Amino acid sequence: MLDREGFSLLARRLAICAVLVVALAPVIWLFSIAYKATSDIFASPPTFLFSPTLDNFLSVLRYFNLGALLESSLIIAIGSTALSLLIGVPAGYALARAESPRAIWLAYFFLIIRTVPAIATLIPFYLLMRDIGLLGTWWAVIILNTALNSAFVVWMMFSFFRASPVSIEEAALIDGCSDFGAFIRVALPSVVPGLIASAIFCVMFSWNDFLYAMFLTKADTKTISVALLSAYGTKDISWGTLGALAHFSTLPIVVMMILLNRYFVQGLTQGVH
Amino acid sequence: MAGLNRDKLRAPSDHCSRDGAANADDVNARSTGWSYARKRQIFLAALAAPALIYVLAIAVGPMAQGFLYSFDNYNLIRPVSRHFVGLDNYLALWRDPTARRAVINTFAFTFGAVTLEFVLGLGVALLLWRDDWFNRIALGLLLIPATVTPLVVGLMFKALLNPEYGMLGYPLAELGLSGARGLLADPQRALATLIAIDAWEWTPLMALILLAGLKSLRTDILEAAEVDGATAPQRLQHIILPLLLPAAFLALILRMMDAFRVFDIIFVTTGGGPADATNTLMIYGVKEGLEFFNIGAASAVSTVIVICILVMAAAFIGVLKPARNRNA
Repeated sequence: MLDREGFSLLARRLAICAVLVVALAPVIWLFSIAYKATSDIFASPPTFLFSPTLDNFLSVLRYFNLGALLESSLIIAIGSTALSLLIGVPAGYALARAESPRAIWLAYFFLIIRTVPAIATLIPFYLLMRDIGLLGTWWAVIILNTALNSAFVVWMMFSFFRASPVSIEEAALIDGCSDFGAFIRVALPSVVPGLIASAIFCVMFSWNDFLYAMFLTKADTKTISVALLSAYGTKDISWGTLGALAHFSTLPIVVMMILLNRYFVQGLTQGVH
Repeated sequence: MAGLNRDKLRAPSDHCSRDGAANADDVNARSTGWSYARKRQIFLAALAAPALIYVLAIAVGPMAQGFLYSFDNYNLIRPVSRHFVGLDNYLALWRDPTARRAVINTFAFTFGAVTLEFVLGLGVALLLWRDDWFNRIALGLLLIPATVTPLVVGLMFKALLNPEYGMLGYPLAELGLSGARGLLADPQRALATLIAIDAWEWTPLMALILLAGLKSLRTDILEAAEVDGATAPQRLQHIILPLLLPAAFLALILRMMDAFRVFDIIFVTTGGGPADATNTLMIYGVKEGLEFFNIGAASAVSTVIVICILVMAAAFIGVLKPARNRNA
């Protein structure tokens, strides 16, 4: 027999399981559709049972230059993440260690930049890139993504550096360490979780973005998210192709989040408090 | 969280020189005639400068440019005929029923989505409050929707909600809960459906932020209330919710700023239709600017969005600052 405490725990667990089913069932369906034949996908009423097939993956390979799409997405994600961390982390450190209230206002400024809607920057930036001849290149997307992602990194690292004690840095400074040395050798190692969290979010934002990539790239530089949209737009290739493409576009990010879950959660909560 | 070490952070930055310890910077400071504190400030400014200059040049610059475009009649199809029209683009926005509908839809979507996500998120956060292995794993899995490419989320639900072969749409149509063409094609229900999709995607994030707030509550107050015989609903209403208020506000405003500029899921599911039922300011602006190349009108739309987001950001900071001070 269950006592009152045990019953309440069981009820909570069951409720959580129900929430998990709602949250995960659509994702599982998305990946499973890749193994369905077109006739099964369009069966009406829909069926849960189907004989698995790899046809959708074959048609992805036939209709899309998967290697080039992944290359574009990777170059843009890695490029903008590296640049964002390179300029964002030192700025987050500087704002966290500066004593003046102006530093906090600057931190807020960076936070607000991250929340500005894409369209406010996209149209003028599109014209700018057209005028200087970068439209259609990876650089156009990397440059714009870096502006928004670095602002996010500044804010997040500002929070992490503020939460990390300054006493060790001060001790290092007294021992004759230079300011820069104290930043690189003492402060940075103490915020490794923050660095990982920042990197995860930058990769996720860039990889998942399609609005910028859709307007700033061209046929041979387009990313996998842009290709996803065309998978849907074309008649003869459809949901099955979408599911197969999702194995390459969505699955890597989901796996990254599961593997680095601790940092993901820490990053999401740290940035707010 | 960041507030915990405020006292230590307040340590004077000229610590080293005042300390009187033999230190290379001290010697340098004397020889150049600059105090250590001044050099430290310059060092910190140099670290912050690249990001600040970059963001000003690449994000703020184009935004300011867009603001200027919003006063021009400027169409890329006829770039030569560009001329200053003052507030005409804004007035047109006000008079155009499509645009007015977009304003209403944007606010309805934002309010609906954030309210729904808050209620559901609070429920999930309370369920996951106890820190044990089961809840940690559940939280990890629960965050998966937030990592799925938003574009894919939209496409996925478009397929699921299809009334003929969709796993959700077919039973809904059979039960008579949706029209023959499905929820997304129903002008009465399309916006509500999109709110539900947004809630599927972002409730976990809301739950996570609220959970962090719950975990930072002092347990002694809660235990005292329990000992005094307060029932669970009483504790929720009189103790947990009031204490959770700062975290709740932050979660709400953060989600509001994101929901206000939602684009991907609407763009791929309905594209703003049917009959403008789901047309939001973002969709309207992107269509004006990047489909019709009506740069002036699109810039007016984006200026309006930015102003709304700035108002929310001001509220965010207004809540954040006192919250930080309280934590300190």
